[in-house]
Amino acid sequence: MAWNGQQPPPFNPSYNPNFTQQGGNPSAPPPPQSHPYNAYQPGGYGTPGYGSQPPQTQYGAPPRGYGAPPAGGYGAPGYGTASPAPPPGADPTLWYWFQAVDANHSNSITATELRQALVNGNWSPFNEETCRLMIGMFDTDRDGTINFQEFAALWKYIQDWKQCFERFDTDRSGNIDANELANAFRTFGYNLSPQFSHMIVRKFDRASRNTINFDDFIQCCVMLKSLTDAFRRKDTSMRGTIQIHYEEFLEMVLENAMH
Amino acid sequence: MAYQAQPPPDQNFLWGVFQKVDKDRSGAISANELQQALSNGTWTAFNPETIRLMIVMFDRSNTGTINFQEFGSLWKYITDWQNTFRSYDRDNSGSIDKHELKTALTNFGYRLSDRFYDILIRKFDRSGRGVIAFDDFIQCCVVIQTLTNSFKSMDTNRNGWITIGYEQFLTMVFSIKA
Repeated sequence: MAWNGQQPPPFNPSYNPNFTQQGGNPSAPPPPQSHPYNAYQPGGYGTPGYGSQPPQTQYGAPPRGYGAPPAGGYGAPGYGTASPAPPPGADPTLWYWFQAVDANHSNSITATELRQALVNGNWSPFNEETCRLMIGMFDTDRDGTINFQEFAALWKYIQDWKQCFERFDTDRSGNIDANELANAFRTFGYNLSPQFSHMIVRKFDRASRNTINFDDFIQCCVMLKSLTDAFRRKDTSMRGTIQIHYEEFLEMVLENAMH
Repeated sequence: MAYQAQPPPDQNFLWGVFQKVDKDRSGAISANELQQALSNGTWTAFNPETIRLMIVMFDRSNTGTINFQEFGSLWKYITDWQNTFRSYDRDNSGSIDKHELKTALTNFGYRLSDRFYDILIRKFDRSGRGVIAFDDFIQCCVVIQTLTNSFKSMDTNRNGWITIGYEQFLTMVFSIKA
């Protein structure tokens, strides 16, 4: 996975092969000395609102009692079994969430457990592929599950995406339309046509409302980043086109778009 | 394709199946209803991406669901895949290993390296056993077919190489997502 999980989403290198033709666009051209693909876009990471307290909406949070103290009821840590003590120095809130997501108390989180814990703004469950994608990204010891150490990074990642999603959901509808998506891609530094955002929304529009949900937004952005990195590696002359062989093409797609 | 195509099933039989799958009696089959009706022969749920893929493929009226007219072709498609899968699952294990996958795709006309089959198995093996189940086999074949068709349409001189722009590439890749 090309994406560094520690990085918040908007901290994205731009892929902008035609940047020289866009002199008037303040967000497109990179600093003169830097490699055009590595130019970080202004206005992304660190802007007001980004990194602030999580809002009280539920995107990406476990469905029950976001931010609330443990209720001690069904499904809460400690029910039926002795509650495992948090590791020394562990953040108690994070430990609480880890216990809540780890439904079978195995001390590791599977893609299924993660999927049961995450909901979209419209309460639809997360898609399986996004869960597998995120598990694969943070499973540093490659055992197919997320332990508590790995969970801290995963949790921060989801919170960062939640804030990112809310930032681009300008009409506060709980989902993202094609214009909002185009704006997100532009802010991340991608040079893509409006038709591209419309195509993405058509593809991921699960409720037939011309919008995409939080989980699909994460999946699209991660895929886009990963495919752009792969394309850039082959585009050594940086012209925005590559020559590619059949099997190489298939491999590039499978490795970066199938999770 | 190595399997024998089935004769079109009887309409009364199809109607019976349709009514069983359409649990809420809405006259149309949703992705959820289709997922509940289909089985891998194991207790694992049918891959939701494969379900969406199939709904998109046969939902000609673009309602996001399958009506009875559309159901006939979907049913034939699934049973054809079932027969294909069984014919390549030589050891009747209920899943396809790398060797069986290679035989299947080679018979479909694909020429792919041994190393590539390792990637395919790794990507479509959701059980972590190094084999591919029925639902993932469908997804695997449909993805390869979709990508090959897009590639071919650009490979005008048929030499196995294409020149492709950035956004065009992305559009091609996102086309495999359903």
